[in-house]
Amino acid sequence: MDFTERSTRVYRTKQLYTKEELELRESRCVHEQPAFCAAVCPLKLDAREFARLCSEGDFASARAMLERITPFPLILACGCEAPCASACRLGELPGGEGLDFPALERAAMRLGAPRSGRGLLKFRKKKSAAVFGAELFTLAAAAELARKSYPTTFFVAESCAEELISRCAPFLPEADVLAEAERLCGMDMDVRYSCDLSPELFASLSGNYDLLCVSRDFLLELDASAEPDPVTLLCPSPGVLSRPSGERGVLGALYDARRAGVSADRMAQGMDPATLRGEEGPVVSRLHTDLSSAVPSRRTGEPRGGYDSAAARAEASRCIQCECVECLRGCAYLRHYGKFPRILTREIYNNAGIIMGDHMMNKALNSCALCGQCSVVCPNGYDMAEICLSARENMVATGKMSLAVHEFALYDQIFSNTEGFLARPQPGHDRCRYLFFPGCQAAAIAPEVVARAYSDLCARLEGGVAIMLGCCGAISRWAGRTELSAETDSQLRSALDELGNPEIIAACPTCAVTLGGLSPGGVRGIWDVLLELGLPASASHAGASASLHDACGARGDARTQGAVREIVRRLGFELTENGWSGDRAPCCGYGGLVSYANPEVASELARSCLDGPPDRPQITYCMACRDRLAREGAQSVHILELVYGVQAAQTPGISEKRRNRLLLKQTLLRDIWGEDLKNEPLGFRLDITGEARALMEQRMILDTDVAAVMRAYRESGEAVLDADSGLLSARLRLGNVTFWVKFTEDSEGYTVHRVYSHRMTVETR
Amino acid sequence: MPDDKNYYEIDPQGKLSCRKCGVPLVKGDAVFGYLDNAFPVQLPVCPKCGFVYVPEELAMGKVLSVEKVLEDK
Ligand code: SF4
Ligand code: SF4
Ligand code: SF4
Ligand SMILES: [Zn+2]
Repeated sequence: MDFTERSTRVYRTKQLYTKEELELRESRCVHEQPAFCAAVCPLKLDAREFARLCSEGDFASARAMLERITPFPLILACGCEAPCASACRLGELPGGEGLDFPALERAAMRLGAPRSGRGLLKFRKKKSAAVFGAELFTLAAAAELARKSYPTTFFVAESCAEELISRCAPFLPEADVLAEAERLCGMDMDVRYSCDLSPELFASLSGNYDLLCVSRDFLLELDASAEPDPVTLLCPSPGVLSRPSGERGVLGALYDARRAGVSADRMAQGMDPATLRGEEGPVVSRLHTDLSSAVPSRRTGEPRGGYDSAAARAEASRCIQCECVECLRGCAYLRHYGKFPRILTREIYNNAGIIMGDHMMNKALNSCALCGQCSVVCPNGYDMAEICLSARENMVATGKMSLAVHEFALYDQIFSNTEGFLARPQPGHDRCRYLFFPGCQAAAIAPEVVARAYSDLCARLEGGVAIMLGCCGAISRWAGRTELSAETDSQLRSALDELGNPEIIAACPTCAVTLGGLSPGGVRGIWDVLLELGLPASASHAGASASLHDACGARGDARTQGAVREIVRRLGFELTENGWSGDRAPCCGYGGLVSYANPEVASELARSCLDGPPDRPQITYCMACRDRLAREGAQSVHILELVYGVQAAQTPGISEKRRNRLLLKQTLLRDIWGEDLKNEPLGFRLDITGEARALMEQRMILDTDVAAVMRAYRESGEAVLDADSGLLSARLRLGNVTFWVKFTEDSEGYTVHRVYSHRMTVETR
Repeated sequence: MPDDKNYYEIDPQGKLSCRKCGVPLVKGDAVFGYLDNAFPVQLPVCPKCGFVYVPEELAMGKVLSVEKVLEDK
């Protein structure tokens, strides 16, 4: 199969998800849910943020938050029943106490300077309001209406502001009564003191106002059987807003006043007060907070005069700022982009809908390792892998996915399954009971280990062991190239069929998963087989401590994780485990082809897997993990290297990985089946300098690409000579890439000094 | 890349020559193409055989960055 470049002038899109499918995914993330303390507050004080401001000593901002949610913050601070404090998660810890919000609110009001200035000049509204009778609800409601710029008149029996405040908030200390009275006097409100509140007064005045609000006592005087609506607080028969029956405390009164204000707005616009009210009152938070490392603590006692700044900061600092960050803690990819899955999902969804223009999220959705860690560590199983993979498939299907990102890897899969492919029964068996599938990375990185493992399996298993060298198809799956996946599936399926559908013994957890759906004979990990047979004599017995990196292919596979640990134990290692092993293990950066799409993220992922001092061996059971961790400086070793007593080369380059696969195939064919595959000799000297070699790795240019350019040069003689450097430059278009080689020549051949490539075509005009 | 003048400064010294034809390369009209987009440019070209030279700095610089922009389209 060959890949041809797409056209950016074909305008096609396919919706990634329906609205419901998108919401179903997004709703799993609770990151933006309110903290528990904030959720229960009917006035919607963001208590977590309030605590944060107090802990930083920013009492002015904390005070401003209180002044925003209620017109009388001191009344709130002294009288609130504080459901936030009871809901605080700190109270759940054994011996712990929830944060003392009322004490902090009092401190914020005392320690925080008031914000100066009246804010924007507000135009008074056309509709006017009248409020009758003093109680906490009417006091606050009058203030809410005045704050909303309705010209408001408040008729009360009390003779002055202090008496009015004391009457409405009898629990308030003297000093606070004076302060709130002063606040009342500063409001843009006409308070008529010493009124004779009677139904007659109401009858004579009510016609002058558009919005009417009365105290509960006064309501009963007007109409003993009246009962306001529990949501809108509207009592239709006298046409007033008033409190429903039942005692709901200070917080309840302030909340009712706010609700009355919302109703007043609707009524002023001539609307039904029950419509468009938005979310009101306390909510149930679905937030998840990891309390496992929270230390129980008790309240800072509030002295008679209230907290000083240090005490308030100390109390507020007990807050652990509840939030869910489980996925970011685990995943370096999410940390790199600094986005929570819900946001990423929305952006990836929108990205798929772009018909013309830049697909800004392509790189991000290609940088997920598709490793599934998030779906394990997220309390709600958020599955970014599924989202990124379906997005890749969508982009490929609509011609919006760049081939350049994954082309090298895709041709690597094709190489493994053509030139590098081998499927043979064990000599002497037409059909075999088993088939050894080492996986493309094992063959590329540790061919010697594969050869030893195969001969061990042949020697110790009955019924014949076939071998298949190739790629399981994970690469095309990860790239979202379903066509190549289907082609690979059918190639492997028919090869398996020819060998009698043996049971596959896989040496790679990812291969085991990928081949699971293909093989009628079933799939097992080689670790299972080795545990059954016992370790071979070659196994080393180390007696050292080591850490183990679990492969993402084995996520959710307790059997494999357990078998590997047992082998490691039998090899004599003492394992140290941190909290990120087993199903919670991060990905090494090979998964999902991140290392091709975003080497930086791949390296961050690999570094996040490093565990323990650099000289302590880190054992892996996936050859790609071994390679990626070694590149970040770990003493990583594949478990089969230990079992078979061979050490593979450290971090082979891209060309060596291909050569290793070919060499393995040739060696097996020669040693086991007596077939000699002759290598076509190059026929000329081709030396590659260290500088050129490094460029080839970085620019993903293979030895075979360079050799092809030189062969073409020998035929055509076409090259450019640069007189300054003395270097010749020759080029060749191979597939979708033009390769350039800068070289010097002598009678025997060539020395390559630099290489580069471009995907653009170039023609004369 | 519509403005091909800023795109690549052709070295005027004539230090580049065609190995096959043995003549210096000259400034010539060429066109880059990628994903169905075309960009006219001037590049060093052999006046005899038409060999178009894409220098490394150009390939790994401007050409690569334009490729990347188009790849996200
Ligand atoms: S783990 Fe991440 S995705 Fe899951 S709820 Fe928490 S923040 Fe959201
Ligand atoms: S710890 Fe802080 S954020 Fe969490 S519930 Fe308590 S006060 Fe709110
Ligand atoms: S890299 Fe793994 S853990 Fe991170 S988002 Fe992707 S699948 Fe989830
Ligand atoms: Zn020429």
